[in-house]
Amino acid sequence: MASGHSTALPPQDALPLELDLARLIVSALSLEVEPASIAPEAPLFGEGLGLDSIDALELALAISKTFGVQLRSDDERNHQIFASLRSLAAHIEKHRTR
Amino acid sequence: MQARMSWSAAPERGSTTMLRLMLWITSMLGWQAGHLLLYPITAYFLASSPRQRAAVRTYLDRALRQPARLRDIFRLYFAFASTILDRLWLVTGRTRDYRIEVHGLDALRANIAAGRGCLLFGAHLGSFEVLRAVADAGSPVALSVLMHEANAMRAKAFFDALGGTERAAAIIPLGRPDAMLRVRECLDRGELVGLLADRATRHDKLVHVPFLGAEAPMPAGPHLLAALLGAPVMLAFGVWRGPRHYEVRFEPFVEAPGQEGRAEREAATAASVARYAQRLEAMCRAYPYNWFNFYDFWATEQRP
Repeated sequence: MASGHSTALPPQDALPLELDLARLIVSALSLEVEPASIAPEAPLFGEGLGLDSIDALELALAISKTFGVQLRSDDERNHQIFASLRSLAAHIEKHRTR
Repeated sequence: MQARMSWSAAPERGSTTMLRLMLWITSMLGWQAGHLLLYPITAYFLASSPRQRAAVRTYLDRALRQPARLRDIFRLYFAFASTILDRLWLVTGRTRDYRIEVHGLDALRANIAAGRGCLLFGAHLGSFEVLRAVADAGSPVALSVLMHEANAMRAKAFFDALGGTERAAAIIPLGRPDAMLRVRECLDRGELVGLLADRATRHDKLVHVPFLGAEAPMPAGPHLLAALLGAPVMLAFGVWRGPRHYEVRFEPFVEAPGQEGRAEREAATAASVARYAQRLEAMCRAYPYNWFNFYDFWATEQRP
């Protein structure tokens, strides 16, 4: 009955880079979810996708290899950067070298 | 949840109160007075923590291979209290009146000299502070310590109170996504990173391994971390042998693990946890009263 109300969907639609990143996350961490099913604004760590800090390290290694972006611990915006697929993709977009 | 509350309630939190009390007494009257006070303090904690006492009994039954007596349990509590008293001296580097036998320091130095960052896996066995005293004294590089957030806050407050701001800064709190990035950066600079690899919390990936005659859950994280970073690992133990007497051991554990694929890494991790548990078991057999995990270590539910 709520099927007609799809107006709330567009902000949740993943951008191409977000989808690329979602695929990278799923393959690097061997997650058993569809990349397209990861909500761009949902939390990646703790609740949401439920990643931990070791996953974060593994992901950082993969991101550095794929996009040439070095994630570092001394970045004060890390909480923000790691918050969701969207925020992580935005950070990569800004700093990518490949 | 219930178990978590009770677990953190007594010796751990109680030890903070005990620490403050002892800090005050020893600053007035010295180590000897503090040492004498350990007897009533130990008796008090023994009497007031039935659940922890039961957990210690379970452990000692296994480690001693015979039913533990009350005096055995007292001995373990007393060793724990002693290491807490000694922390007050060790943290400020006052080791002059201590007898500390060190084994394996050359191997640690070789890793440092090679410029390879090295992970140090400890356990809630004996004193981590004495390890740090030794590592600091013999090491030209920094030693950071990875800790769960609640412990990190307690430890930070403790170091701040004693004026050890450098120590406070060298704590890497877990529970933040970038915690392991910090570990990697420390290792890249050729530094040492210590962590306690025995205690599994509810948030950890667990591996069930044989330990003192039964399967126990232990965290996979430390071993995964080592494999991911390709960092050499040494085991580190600071065993309490008696009043102001410690034995510190550094043992090579992993030279430099390969960065295999994910599936291989998981299999290798399970094997590595099992090997760690074996080594820990040997230490528990040799020094049964140094085990400071005051909860049912073998329980698969109700992790701290």
